[in-house]
Amino acid sequence: MIFLEAFLPIAIFVIFSLLTIPVTNIARIGRHKSAIMLLWFIIVFTVISMFVASLAVKYYAQMGKEPFLNLTFSSNPNRIFSSTFTIDAVSIYMAIIFTIISAITFLYSLFYIDASEPLSGRYYSLTLMITACVIGACFSGDFLTLFIFWEASAVGSGFLMLYEGSPRSIHATLKYLVMIIIASAFIVYGLSIIYGLTGTLNFWAVKQILASLKDKHLLILSFIFMATGYAIESAIVPFHMWLPDAYTTAPASSSAFLSALIDQGSYYVLLRILVYILTPPAILDWRLVLAFLSVLSMIVGNLFALIENDIKRLISYVCIADVGYNLIAITSVTSLGVMGNLYFFFVGGLTTALSFMAVGILNNAGLKTLRDLSGIGRRMPLTSLALLTGAFSFSGFPPFAGFFAKYLVFTAAIEAGLSWLALIGVLTSIVQAAYFLRLVNYMFAKKSRREDELDEPKKLLIPVLTLTITIILLGIYPTIVLKLIEPVVQQIPLIP
Amino acid sequence: MGNTLLLVMVLPVLSAPLAYLLGRKSPKTAASLISLICLIEIALLLTIAPQILNSADHKYVESYSWIPTIYASLTFFADGISLPMAIITLVLMFTATIFSVNYMQDKRGLAEYYALLALLSAGLVGVFITSNLMLFYFCWELMLVPSYFIIGEWGYREPYRAAFKFFIFTHAGAIFVLLGIGAIFMLTGNLDIFSAQVALMNAPLDLVMWILLSLTLGFAVKMAVVPFHMWLPDAHSEAPAPMSALLSGVIISAGAYAILRISLGAVLPAIAATSFGNQFLHSLSILGVISAFFGSFIALVENDVKRIIAYSSIAHMGYVLFGLSMFPYSEAIIGAVLHLVNHAVSKGLFFLSAGSLMKQLEIRDIREMGGLANKMPITAIAASTAALSIAGIPVFACFISEFIMFIGAFKAIGDDGFYILPTILMLIATVLSLAYALRYISHIFLGQAKIREAKEVPLLMKAAMLILIVIVILLGVWPTFFVELIATAKFTVLGG
Repeated sequence: MIFLEAFLPIAIFVIFSLLTIPVTNIARIGRHKSAIMLLWFIIVFTVISMFVASLAVKYYAQMGKEPFLNLTFSSNPNRIFSSTFTIDAVSIYMAIIFTIISAITFLYSLFYIDASEPLSGRYYSLTLMITACVIGACFSGDFLTLFIFWEASAVGSGFLMLYEGSPRSIHATLKYLVMIIIASAFIVYGLSIIYGLTGTLNFWAVKQILASLKDKHLLILSFIFMATGYAIESAIVPFHMWLPDAYTTAPASSSAFLSALIDQGSYYVLLRILVYILTPPAILDWRLVLAFLSVLSMIVGNLFALIENDIKRLISYVCIADVGYNLIAITSVTSLGVMGNLYFFFVGGLTTALSFMAVGILNNAGLKTLRDLSGIGRRMPLTSLALLTGAFSFSGFPPFAGFFAKYLVFTAAIEAGLSWLALIGVLTSIVQAAYFLRLVNYMFAKKSRREDELDEPKKLLIPVLTLTITIILLGIYPTIVLKLIEPVVQQIPLIP
Repeated sequence: MGNTLLLVMVLPVLSAPLAYLLGRKSPKTAASLISLICLIEIALLLTIAPQILNSADHKYVESYSWIPTIYASLTFFADGISLPMAIITLVLMFTATIFSVNYMQDKRGLAEYYALLALLSAGLVGVFITSNLMLFYFCWELMLVPSYFIIGEWGYREPYRAAFKFFIFTHAGAIFVLLGIGAIFMLTGNLDIFSAQVALMNAPLDLVMWILLSLTLGFAVKMAVVPFHMWLPDAHSEAPAPMSALLSGVIISAGAYAILRISLGAVLPAIAATSFGNQFLHSLSILGVISAFFGSFIALVENDVKRIIAYSSIAHMGYVLFGLSMFPYSEAIIGAVLHLVNHAVSKGLFFLSAGSLMKQLEIRDIREMGGLANKMPITAIAASTAALSIAGIPVFACFISEFIMFIGAFKAIGDDGFYILPTILMLIATVLSLAYALRYISHIFLGQAKIREAKEVPLLMKAAMLILIVIVILLGVWPTFFVELIATAKFTVLGG
């Protein structure tokens, strides 16, 4: 039953996530609540990673024969509501990295959100549920399945942002939800045009029919609607306004989780749907539009981060700037670009997650603005090491993982003949280095009024330091991940 | 010994955490560990020298797999240019380390200091002994981060300000280097310097031109030639003396080395035949003359004991650039490279002696000093040796290299009349450097004693200076070893 294989990891994730609430309730009664939660974490992620791994092994074993597996409820792919799953190298890769990132962020939220809080069970459960939805979106093979999974994850994110329940976070979440609803309206409208043009929603069928389309006016309209919708969800400038508010008011564990999963996932949607399936450049040349948006994102994100004083908000703006760098790679449409992109998904996710996690530890100690961070390098050495790693990785410094991501992206842009775009990327990178150095300057150069060492929460440091080491390791030896990406790159031209 | 150079690269990296752990208990152990490793590395490098002198292509290469996907490999190589540079780097690192034992003893956080020093030496040596552009860039940036923290944490006045300036300037330069590297990869599909040189011959001329400019801009910032010199006086004068010695001795030389090896050696041959290639070399020559005059004039009027030396570094990088601009006249190139070596030793000695003065007197203004010669004899001898060498007086090191450079210049004049004026101006500039050198000595060591109590420096500081005095005089009297080594490299620079 090949269909079950794709569906099973998602279903099991959902079942696990539902079980998390009673498990938390049980854990709350006994004395060893963190031990039970830890055990639960290990069980969940061992099972999930076994499923994902077996899927990967099975897929790679048959890769020579077929580029992708198409799994449908019915044998006719053109049936309107034939919910479809697709497994190809891209989706397997995305599933792997989402599982890894989700595991680390889930571990962090186990320690960050105390299990004795009344709503904590639902929080943990939703974290798993959103991961399931995002992985489902990666495996989906038609627009409708994707749309449902994606919107489900967006609604779940709303709750994660809302968790603390402060008026500001309610306000920010409202803003987010309104934006998401507008976005989904745009997407549905775009989808209806696509359906009208082609009579199907299946990716491959749509692509084949669109390739032979004569009159492209409606397609352009649909592209605009869908691009706008997904641009809102991935916070591309000028649709970025919800992101800084939402990530600043959310608890740090949510920001880490959302920035790593939802953000990176939405670039995946952009890459996969808009670029390679719906309208490859051969059908509709959208490259200049995306290049323009990319420039805007890089400039706006970095400049706002440059003047920002609140550390969490600063990281949020860096997330926006990161969209810009990702878009460079998408724009280039070369195999190197795809490689850079997929690598960027992983590294960008790890780096944003790490930064938000470190900031979370600092926020818990009551440190919010750059000025509060004065002299923190001596008072909380391990946390500042983590934040330092995040900062250097963001600004593209070897030997941190972010360097290769940026290198691949810029090289891809030059290869595609977009040297000016690479140049703007380079110049904004300097701005990025400047404000991160400002942060480092505060952490190490400025003297704080108090010299005593602050307590560093040992438990929270476990996931944080794991990420730090991963980022340095990937920076020194990125071959581990690049080997995973290689089959993807070979496969992209194979897709009909 | 099949993996000598790998050891040379890996040993300092591995010694960094070890130095940190040892340094927490006793900083002296860490210092001896690092100096021991420097000695081992020098011995390892010396074992390669006969192979370079005697083999047919005067090269020594080792290669290890790293990131095959983007053609980045751990390719280590040594030829007549890189070997002297690497050896002299390690000599300076060795003396700076033993100088630090006494110089830094009352500072705190010495474990971190020595660990950073070890990382810095890895970066510095790595730049000289690799032919893979990716590894080169890694090492290039690895020089930057430890320097930033060393200057900032243990410097004088507002150290983090100077460090910030240093970091932003050189990182901005490095990003342009990265852009150039990316473009080379795109044009040639390879990241090896020597293969790139061959492959670039068939590349479109205008692109090669941009690559050349972008790379040279990046390297020139590191080299601190006018007009990219703004970071140097602050960074060099506010850094702790051992770090100043390394900065002025080797880090800026790395910029010159990179211009020779990559800009001139690998990229320029592709457009050497066009008029642009010629204009490029001429403008380098003009920049060299401007730097020499600018640095010398300011050194002549500056009163700060370390800023004088810092400005003299700008002047001497001007000489080197002038020498390089006569590429490919072999005498000029030999002279320039030998000048890098000689200048590194002399300037290192100069900064160490200045550090001794600052440590013992705790003043920096040379007008407040005077008559120190009989109170601090070793320091006086060290400073005079260094100053006279910098001024280009025979018997001391820099004379030989300047002499060889001018021989090259006269040869160049024979073919290209343009070089007449720069050569004459350069000869005048040497007079200026004698002027500031003499002013420095007479103000500090001769004349009336203005300070009652001044003691000679402790033993290890003396030892460090004595070693460098011996080397400066040795290189002035018997430069044969290095000259022969460098002379073997002229074919590799020309791309034969």
